[in-house]
Amino acid sequence: MTVLGAIRCVWLRHFDVYRKSLAYGLVTTFAEPLLYLFSFGFGLGSLVGTVQLLGIELTYRQFIFAGIVGQTLLFQGFFEAAYGSFVRMYYQRIFQAIAVTPITLSEVLWAEIMWDASKATFSASVVIGIGILMGDFSRSGALAAIPLCFAGATLFAALGLLVAAKSRTIEEISYPQYLLVFPMFLFCGVFFPLSMLPRYLQWLAWGLPLTSIVSLMRTLTLGTPLQPQGFIVITIWLAVLVPWSRQAMSRRLIK
Amino acid sequence: MFRSEPPLIVRNLRKEYRVHGGPPLCAVDGISFEIQKGECFGLLGPNGAGKSTSMNCITGFYQATAGQIWLMGYDVFREPRKARQSLGVCSQEDTLDSDFTVLDQMIRYGTYFGRKPEVVKPRAQALLERFGLGEKSADLVESLSGGMRRRLQVARALISDPEVLVLDEPTTGMDPEVRRVLWEIILECRARNLAILLSTHYMEEAQRLCDRVAILHRGKILDCAPPQELIARRIGEEMVEEEIRPGVRWKRPSNLEDVYLKLTGKHLENGSEA
Repeated sequence: MTVLGAIRCVWLRHFDVYRKSLAYGLVTTFAEPLLYLFSFGFGLGSLVGTVQLLGIELTYRQFIFAGIVGQTLLFQGFFEAAYGSFVRMYYQRIFQAIAVTPITLSEVLWAEIMWDASKATFSASVVIGIGILMGDFSRSGALAAIPLCFAGATLFAALGLLVAAKSRTIEEISYPQYLLVFPMFLFCGVFFPLSMLPRYLQWLAWGLPLTSIVSLMRTLTLGTPLQPQGFIVITIWLAVLVPWSRQAMSRRLIK
Repeated sequence: MFRSEPPLIVRNLRKEYRVHGGPPLCAVDGISFEIQKGECFGLLGPNGAGKSTSMNCITGFYQATAGQIWLMGYDVFREPRKARQSLGVCSQEDTLDSDFTVLDQMIRYGTYFGRKPEVVKPRAQALLERFGLGEKSADLVESLSGGMRRRLQVARALISDPEVLVLDEPTTGMDPEVRRVLWEIILECRARNLAILLSTHYMEEAQRLCDRVAILHRGKILDCAPPQELIARRIGEEMVEEEIRPGVRWKRPSNLEDVYLKLTGKHLENGSEA
């Protein structure tokens, strides 16, 4: 068995569980982004009209569509990894059970991140698909956004895994959820342009990964000017979070 | 590996735990042993003696601080995939996958060894029948009793047809009847030439099942020999008199508990002072 074969094997385990409870899986994967999409895109969008972003005029629905893609990556990636991996690690002890077979713990953790990222990317792709169908996204740009979605989902999955590794109880996951994930959701340009925030909050928002993901998503799907710092921010977060989360979970499991 | 080489070799195994703000805690202190094909080797000691830590190092799950472990000739730390290909593990904790039915999780576990589901399925069904779980194949793990879950965990450890079987306190918490069923299965495995490493704090279990027993205390092996030889060497063949409750004394044959008590001054079951 190769490393990729081992990761695939564990990934398929998670996919099988998802497939076995498909109705539950579909509701948890799609209900939330679709509710946000219809509520903000169609509801609030009809009130707001248009938005000026970096010299480009967009309908609010277009603006929010790309934001909801980012929000989907954040919520689906983070929550599946944080709560899902905590349950698999702490209650079910699945990581421990697999890591005494020919599959190593390192591969188990890669599979965990890849599964969480795949699920979030799948979910975000549906939002992108609706954006294309509604005529709000450029077709070619939206397809080019899928790799960006996967990078963003991997980042948030790693964040979730890190939180799971550092939380002593499942309740402790609420701290980063309320103090980091929800502020990101509210202040990283999903609902309004960052230019409406005070200067220092704009800087703070640019330090958080969701801002970069949403900005690059709008560039690819709506043709807004590229803000290249987004690539740097995402790369740094990925380079820090992926190894850190894997190391933290390994340390949690291996005494 | 030469065919005569033991399937499991442990050499000078040492494991220290990091302790926040203090010196490292040595849980296993330089133990060495080997297990031959068709041999059941017992690690005997109370909770905290270092049994589970040793087991976790032997499976390669914990990195050893020092020492070497070879499984079927492969270094478990350097070549974990090859080493674990021949290993079946039943850990002390319940690690059953509650997302799957009894049969499905047997099959799923087999895929972790690179086996195809259609190849694993007949073996999984046969094992479930042998372990008295055939009728539960379609049930979720949640619906099984504690004894059934334990049996399923041992059955799952055998799914890959291993050559080395590691059983970490497999009968803890079982009622006597279920314990005997599991003993039979362990003896069957031994008869099929598996090398078995069994950790337990039940002296009767060790005496019945193990060809050799290592007495583990504070991470060190105090003595290692066949149970009867240990008893004869440390206690003698004579009967032992003990007070079973105030004012009531009886004589019984000496056993491994007496050996452990003599070597450490503590009881096996809970590690309390004599």
